[in-house]
Amino acid sequence: MPKKIMVVDDDPDIVDYLVSVFEDHGYDTCRASDGISAYEVAMAEKPDLITLDIEMPHEWGPRFYRRLTSEKEFSDIPVIVISGLSGIHLAIRRAVATIKKPFDPADVIQIVREALGE
Amino acid sequence: MDFKRLLLVDDEEGVRRFLGLSLMDMGYEVETASNGREALDIFDSFRPHIVFTDIKMPVMDGIDLLKVIKERSPDTEVVMITGHGDMDLAIESLKFDASDFITKPINNDVLEISLERARDRYNMKLQLREYTENLEKLVEEKTNRIVELERQNAACQVVQGLSSALSDAAQEVETGYGVFNELPCLVSIHNRYLEIVAHNRLFEERLGNQVGNNSFDIYSDRTSPGNACPVQRTFQTGKGQRSKENFLGKDGEEIPVTVYTAPLPNKDGEIELVLDISVDMTELKRLQDELLTTQYKYRRLFDEAPCYITVQDSDLKIVEANRLFKRDFGEVEGHFCFEAYKHRNEPCEGCLVDKTLLDGESRQRETVVTTLTGEQKHMLVQSAPLHDASGRVFQAMELSTDITEIRKLQDHLTSLGIMLGSMSHGVKGMLTSLDGGIYRLESGLKKGDRERVEAATRTLKAMIGRVKKMVLDILYYAKSRELETEAVDATAFLRDTADIAEARATAHDVEFVRDIPDGLGLLQADTAALSAALVNFLENGVDACESRKNGRLELSARRGDNGLVITVSDNGMGMDRETRDKIFTLFFSSKGKRGTGIGLFISNQTIEQHGGSIRVESSPEEGSTFIITLPDRTGR
Repeated sequence: MPKKIMVVDDDPDIVDYLVSVFEDHGYDTCRASDGISAYEVAMAEKPDLITLDIEMPHEWGPRFYRRLTSEKEFSDIPVIVISGLSGIHLAIRRAVATIKKPFDPADVIQIVREALGE
Repeated sequence: MDFKRLLLVDDEEGVRRFLGLSLMDMGYEVETASNGREALDIFDSFRPHIVFTDIKMPVMDGIDLLKVIKERSPDTEVVMITGHGDMDLAIESLKFDASDFITKPINNDVLEISLERARDRYNMKLQLREYTENLEKLVEEKTNRIVELERQNAACQVVQGLSSALSDAAQEVETGYGVFNELPCLVSIHNRYLEIVAHNRLFEERLGNQVGNNSFDIYSDRTSPGNACPVQRTFQTGKGQRSKENFLGKDGEEIPVTVYTAPLPNKDGEIELVLDISVDMTELKRLQDELLTTQYKYRRLFDEAPCYITVQDSDLKIVEANRLFKRDFGEVEGHFCFEAYKHRNEPCEGCLVDKTLLDGESRQRETVVTTLTGEQKHMLVQSAPLHDASGRVFQAMELSTDITEIRKLQDHLTSLGIMLGSMSHGVKGMLTSLDGGIYRLESGLKKGDRERVEAATRTLKAMIGRVKKMVLDILYYAKSRELETEAVDATAFLRDTADIAEARATAHDVEFVRDIPDGLGLLQADTAALSAALVNFLENGVDACESRKNGRLELSARRGDNGLVITVSDNGMGMDRETRDKIFTLFFSSKGKRGTGIGLFISNQTIEQHGGSIRVESSPEEGSTFIITLPDRTGR
């Protein structure tokens, strides 16, 4: 059964991009455009990994991350930060990786595979 | 020395008369008494130098009288007159200090000898007394004399010192070195034969070489000795002279001078030389003129300097201000700097001048001032100490340079930097989206997924549009372009603009309503810039309506009294007061990463450049209306 990746970004074009990349590599996906909706989607879809933008309307990435990982079932979920902000590697300390926009899709897939232990 | 008052005492009237007459004949002033008591009665008032007294008298005899007189006035000579057989008494009287005794009948020769001896004795006693009494005085006189001599000696040494100093000075003149040659005076030295011994360089320049000539030759109106020229008068009187004279110049011209002379005595105090220092009045005038010119020059520099300069005293009161300062802040001298310059009632926080007055160090800082005409200027203010003759800081100078333009440029560059910094984030997002579009286009084509290809194409189109707009915005801001206006038909122009905006509105499911009547007349406009500005307002309207149901955007235009009125209104999210106040500020955006914060800033600038104005009405959740008024004669 394929692993499920949740893509969280307020730019729908970037969400489309990442979702296409992951689906082309055989992953299931789900998506959200801000922190509040991402929490609901995560609860419903139970993803195995999350790619997270930092700066988003309503609720920024780090706050969403704290809220989600305080739930027991998501306390160890791997999170990959994908953002255009500089200095983002400090935004979420426990992130498995930090990727700067614009990114190379092959790098993203490589990091996802390592994070999922494949 | 007088020795003439004589008191004759005898109880025999005949003796008194006869002897008295004889004594008066000898030149004595004679009083007589008939006994001792009478004699004593007149003794004190008459104060005789010599007393002749009989020994045997009634009431008081001669011996008793002698005793009393010697007691009262030991200097008075008492000569006893004795009858025969009184020898014992006569000898006894000698014990009581009587001068002599003569015997009756009185022989004239004996009388004279006796008187002479008495007088000698009297004088000797007097002299002896005088010597004794004057001994102290004498010692004092001698002492004073010695002190006086010492003093004269010291004074002599001083004079010698002075004369040697003056000789040195004279030497300097002769040898051509030293301070005399630097003096702006005609200095010369004259000897007692009224010959010029030496003079300084300036003297030679003005009067020619006069060494060896007569002292009076240098005057234009004195041709022979005995005409009391100042040098001659100095030799005669031994005192320095001062007078106004005319020298005869090298080329025969008269040189008005004030002559000061000083005698130069030699060691013996005789005047050997005379120093003549003459101040050339024309030279003095020339120096004064030069000084005035210099002062004027500095005054002009002070006034014409392209900055504000004030001189302030320790109370921060303005002592002096230059022309530019007075032009922009009025007649400020005598006022406090903080009053005149900064329009404050108390000294400014961290006043530079205050600190400089304390420690004498220069300082600088920036501040903003407002001139009399209300112009705000950004100033770089510097302070510097002014020292008095003793080196103490007693005033300070404040110099302010207008850096408004530099600040503007700096602000512009800073904003550009901030803009590039803040936009890099947005740019990264756009590039990622572009990457995504290309990836999905490629993968869609490979898979023959038509839907994915179409979606990717839409993304790419939109992204390219955003990138283009951003690049144009930056270019516009980086280069402030001049308007290129032309007269266009307002109706046609607005309808073309509406077409551009309508495409975007439709793409976002926003209803677009246009109310642009025919015959709006001509509009003087830079069509590219104005069109971009209006599209910007319209696109903002579309964004405001995005993801809201029944979004509606309207563009309308009317020809009003003040020109063309264009209204852009939407029923979108609206703005609160704070947002509304800031929307025309550079880099303010309410659109998160989708906005650059440049759009409305530039649109506003464009409208202003066209001489127009923008009014904004908005309330949250109800929508916004932008009312743009463009005057008939627009453009610059």
